[in-house]
Amino acid sequence: MSVAFRIARRELRGGLKGFRIFLACLALGVGAIAAVGSVRMAIQEGLSREGAAILGGDIELEFTYRYASDAERAWMEARAEQVSEIADFRSMVSVETPDGDRDRALVQVKGVDSLYPIYGSVALDPPIALAQALRGDDKPGLIAEQVLVDRLGLEIGDTVRLGVQDFTLRAVLLREPDAAAAGLGFGPRVIVTTEGLAESGLLAPGTLFETKYRLRVAEGTNLTALRFALQEAFPDAGIRWRDRRNGAPGVANFVERLGAFLILVGLASLAVGGVGVSAAVRAYLDAKTETIATLKTLGAQGNMIFAIYFAQIGALTLFGIALGLALGTGLPALAGPFLDDVLPVPALFSVYAAPMIEAAVYGLLVALIFTLWPLARARDIRAAALFREVGGASGWPRPIYVAMVVVLTATLVLLAAWFAGVWALAFWAAFGVLVSLALLYLSARGARWIARRLARSRLTRGRPALRLALASVGGPGGETASVVLSLGLGLTVLASVGQIDANLRGLIDRDLPDVAPAYFIVDIQNHQLDGFLETARAQTGVTKIETAPMLRGIVTHLNGVPAREAQIDPAAAWVLRGDRGVTYSAAQPPGSDITEGSWWPSDYDGPPLVSFADEEGRELGLKIGDTISVNVLGRDITATVANFRVVNFRDMGINFLMVFDPQVMAGAPHTHLATVEATPEAEGPLLRAVAEAYPNITAVRVRDALGRVTEALGDLATATRWAAAAVLVTGFVVLIGAAAAGERRRIYESAVLKTLGATRRRILSSFALRAALLGLAAGLVALLAGAAGGWSVITFVMQAEFTLEPGSAVLVVVGGAAASLIAGLGFALRPLAARPARVLRARE
Amino acid sequence: MTDPVLDLKGLSLRLDGNAGPVDILHDIDVSVMRGEAVGLIGPSGSGKSSLLMVMGGLERATGGKVMALGQDLSVMDEDALARFRRQHMGVVFQSFHLIPTMTAIENVATPLELAGDADAFDKAEAELARVGLGKRLDHYPAQLSGGEQQRVALARAAAPQPEILLADEPTGNLDGTTGEAIMDLLFGMRERGATMVLVTHEPILARRCDRVVRLRDGRIEAEQHLEAAE
Repeated sequence: MSVAFRIARRELRGGLKGFRIFLACLALGVGAIAAVGSVRMAIQEGLSREGAAILGGDIELEFTYRYASDAERAWMEARAEQVSEIADFRSMVSVETPDGDRDRALVQVKGVDSLYPIYGSVALDPPIALAQALRGDDKPGLIAEQVLVDRLGLEIGDTVRLGVQDFTLRAVLLREPDAAAAGLGFGPRVIVTTEGLAESGLLAPGTLFETKYRLRVAEGTNLTALRFALQEAFPDAGIRWRDRRNGAPGVANFVERLGAFLILVGLASLAVGGVGVSAAVRAYLDAKTETIATLKTLGAQGNMIFAIYFAQIGALTLFGIALGLALGTGLPALAGPFLDDVLPVPALFSVYAAPMIEAAVYGLLVALIFTLWPLARARDIRAAALFREVGGASGWPRPIYVAMVVVLTATLVLLAAWFAGVWALAFWAAFGVLVSLALLYLSARGARWIARRLARSRLTRGRPALRLALASVGGPGGETASVVLSLGLGLTVLASVGQIDANLRGLIDRDLPDVAPAYFIVDIQNHQLDGFLETARAQTGVTKIETAPMLRGIVTHLNGVPAREAQIDPAAAWVLRGDRGVTYSAAQPPGSDITEGSWWPSDYDGPPLVSFADEEGRELGLKIGDTISVNVLGRDITATVANFRVVNFRDMGINFLMVFDPQVMAGAPHTHLATVEATPEAEGPLLRAVAEAYPNITAVRVRDALGRVTEALGDLATATRWAAAAVLVTGFVVLIGAAAAGERRRIYESAVLKTLGATRRRILSSFALRAALLGLAAGLVALLAGAAGGWSVITFVMQAEFTLEPGSAVLVVVGGAAASLIAGLGFALRPLAARPARVLRARE
Repeated sequence: MTDPVLDLKGLSLRLDGNAGPVDILHDIDVSVMRGEAVGLIGPSGSGKSSLLMVMGGLERATGGKVMALGQDLSVMDEDALARFRRQHMGVVFQSFHLIPTMTAIENVATPLELAGDADAFDKAEAELARVGLGKRLDHYPAQLSGGEQQRVALARAAAPQPEILLADEPTGNLDGTTGEAIMDLLFGMRERGATMVLVTHEPILARRCDRVVRLRDGRIEAEQHLEAAE
């Protein structure tokens, strides 16, 4: 083996010139994966280190709809050094406009006590202390996020009304330490004191609010033991526990999932790079045919040849991976201070080993998969290649190498699934990449076949530029395969992302029923219901009002088994996470269909019954006659499933997962939910009339709520697009590599064509045509594969209807042609400038 | 044969090599008359191929004048030279220089197409049949033997019926028998009225020319009319 290494070392004296693309491809792919992994790790570390600050305490106990009882409060006081109480709910603020009217906005209100925040600090503009800001003057103080200040045109010192209580805006909220744990709110954040809220009339019984008790406990307290103690003391109180070990589980999960997804996209980028790696190795070994044949005449066996070149490519692979790791971990670490300001969550940027190892392993596997084939073929080059045009590196390598490539590919897919932790997604992504590669390979062959036929057909006769381009696309050798594969795969990922993004955006517009309600109105008190209906109906342009009683409850048990231990379909996990809206009704809700079981009689007076949404019920494994326990206002209600109902959550009407019989809940304090359908012109007057008559109620404009969802989707799409851009950049590098590799060939062709009388313009147009044809072929296949990818995600993951979005599709095809054209023309200058005599004589 | 087709006066060629500029041709005066076959001979490095390239406008002279069919090649730009070759010249190389991505018939049809000939493919087919490759039309260069490739190259040069045919050691890469067959084909083209300039090492080939110009160190050492010599 040492002989092989010695020869390999001598061979590498030639320098790395032919390997720039090889190194760039590997470094970019490995770098992208390492970068995503490093950022993910930095956020995870940040979340973990700042757990207490994000949560707002060492422990948070959350109550839905109510404050803690005296007993619960006493339990907390006995175990904590400090207990801080927070109330959180959505509401509306209003301000008086200069013309005497009132302007309103939906907000997420946080009522805090004097201990808030136990950990971390609030940053305000002007930079005053929180207590000072909230104390106020004649009126209590209020602080609000900049977005609300802008929307309502507020200035510090202005009066803002919440419910029936006026507050003074004292400062703008710049940083809220526990914001990440709160999740997506319906509106901008507003902070006031709990005492200030007492007079607002907003926290009446039945109002939708949450209270959170943040506990500071002594160092060394066993949190797990404390959690069990709480469960034991208040088993059915419906208290949600969170502690500093996982302060923002929602954010952590999201970061984990998004990171896994982006790394898979990074893998696609590495696969694209693999095409470049393979092309570079093939070109290198082709140029070495004579050397290999000479070594064979000197007695080197196939294994020796393989070892010599494996050692060379191996050394370069390690170098490329090292470059990628330096790039992928260095850039986020350097950009850390800037990213810190942009990221909505804390991040601890550093050099982490885990993402580096993951990226390096991917890089090694991809390099092996894509280089083994040409290396294995090189070992079979015959000595006769020296004398005749035979025995070069072509055809299939020995079966053992083919088997190795298959095993390595399977290992890569399994590893990706294991690292990502989302097996189905990883498998489907790998399947998508492999199918796309196969499709692209076939289409490259197809494009060559068509080009060959066209080049010989009468259609192209008399059009020498076109025929030259077609002959070049269809002829032996050439860059057709590597251009179509690399550009095609890059564009496929981009097309998929484009289709998914466009479909998701379109979904909201398309699926929104023609007569969607203008407003969801919540927190209508029992005694306000009749008056509200009267006020709303009196407005011109209001076409329909539906109301339903509304309570919130947490599912605690399924058939007596604690919800968190129940074996359920992960698709329905959301049902058990947090609190859900529930209602009651004597009659079957209009527009719903019973799929199994029957509705209870209108005068039913037996043990509690519940009607469950069909799909979610099945996913939870429920059957007719099963029991489900729901904690409402601290009281567990166990009801028997009487029927399953089909619920269409997309029609924007009033829909509940669970509808109870009236006997169970009618006595509990609760509010009502209403949907109001109205013409766009009626929306403003309706809001004014209702809000003036009932300041405590909250109206959510459906279009605004959908806007927030679209915005969130947009942010996701942006992150994905960045990752897809890494794929495209790698694709472009491979493309440039292919164009550069083809430059010598084009110089020669150009020289021959000039000899035959072709002008530079004609040669250039032939080069441009061939590049555009290749790009077009890649774009068309990418469109097909991308649409298939988009279709599968929209159909199977989002369970929605897929429509091919033409704008994004056209962009991909045109972009493909343009990218190929740019790369092709960039490398056309030297061929055009070359003097024929020198080029031709150099080949004599 | 009184009409000079090629007329070179005071021609010199200097190229930039790795070790600095190298003078390849010095003060060359040579004329080639219509219908004449001229052989350029001389030892390796004497400048004969370079002279042929300058005659074809494939290399630009650094001094002197190159007139072809009454036109001054030294003042033409790259594209004008290409158009001139398209209309008046055919070139054959020692290494054939076929375009590897094109079949035999496509290679031969290309100069005709470039000249805007509507019957390019029919003529190409006829030309290939003339050189004995009527059954190899759709073969790529890599699928042809050296002799066959050179016949394709000959057909390509001859297809547009050029007035001037330049050949740079056309049999240099071929065995004796194949080389002879190629020479027969090449000299057969003279019957169509082409003026021919031929670079060769082979005395037999040189003897088939009307006149031989011997070069040494980039200068004309001697000129010899072969009928006179015989």
